[in-house]
Amino acid sequence: MFEREMTNASENEANAQLDALFCAFREATPDPEPSVNFMPTMWAKIEARQSSTTIFHRFARALVTAALGASVVLGLLSYSSNQPAIPTTYEASYVQALAADHVSELEPLQVERISELEQQ
Amino acid sequence: MLVEFELLQKAQQGDAGAFNQVVTAYRRRILGTISRLIGRPEDVEDVAQEVFLRLYFSLDQLRTPEVFEPWLYRLTVNASYDYLRKSKRRPESRMSDLSEQQVLMADAVAGTKAQSEEGEKHRVKDTVNSLLAAVSEEDRILLTLKEVEGLSLKELEQIYHVSENSLKVRLFRARQRVLKNVKGVTRRREKSASSDDGL
Repeated sequence: MFEREMTNASENEANAQLDALFCAFREATPDPEPSVNFMPTMWAKIEARQSSTTIFHRFARALVTAALGASVVLGLLSYSSNQPAIPTTYEASYVQALAADHVSELEPLQVERISELEQQ
Repeated sequence: MLVEFELLQKAQQGDAGAFNQVVTAYRRRILGTISRLIGRPEDVEDVAQEVFLRLYFSLDQLRTPEVFEPWLYRLTVNASYDYLRKSKRRPESRMSDLSEQQVLMADAVAGTKAQSEEGEKHRVKDTVNSLLAAVSEEDRILLTLKEVEGLSLKELEQIYHVSENSLKVRLFRARQRVLKNVKGVTRRREKSASSDDGL
């Protein structure tokens, strides 16, 4: 009980000491006067930041334009290369497609050609 | 508020003169706050200029006049925090130096009459800076705003965007961490006093 009271008392003392310290600190550090260069330096920094921002914006805009152009070109290229020479969808059956593929080989003998051969 | 909202609106529209007036109205207060937050007089103007620079580029986001000052404080806190984080070489952060100065400060607080007023102020500054340098940047800034700048919990709520209860907890913990060092000072003082008596 006594020890707890002592602890509380020392804590209160330390708290009061800290409060006094902060109070003294506030009094010891008044708001400083700005130097004569404060405003010019600040505006110089603002202008420097503005110009770097402008350069960045210009670069970003150029990059976006280039990217748009490239994507249009690529889109056109991919569209033209994807145009199928042979229709990609087959309506005919497998046998019909096979027959169409070998149409010259399966072409029936023509009478005119036989007669031509006979003449030879 | 130190300026009219109309002036802020003009500054928002890109009126450099109006922005100059806003800066002129607030710069001393901001310089003072920063000097107490970072504890390095040579860098105070740099950090303050960074605050106004951030204000200049984000002023168009301001909609209501009530939030201007908490917002400016928030910019100040963020710029100070960035500075403290960047400059790892914090003042008097060695524990041996800290103890020495804390002992000196304890004497000053007890009212050592022999010291001059300026010397005392200097010691107070050194000691508080040392005590705050021994805790994290977050603790340092929060405690300075509350205990030194005298901001209310309501104002801190607006700056930190956290609930009052959460702020109270953070403040209590930060204070406890600083108090540990203050208690150490008292113990050292008692020890040094008893050893002096022994001699």
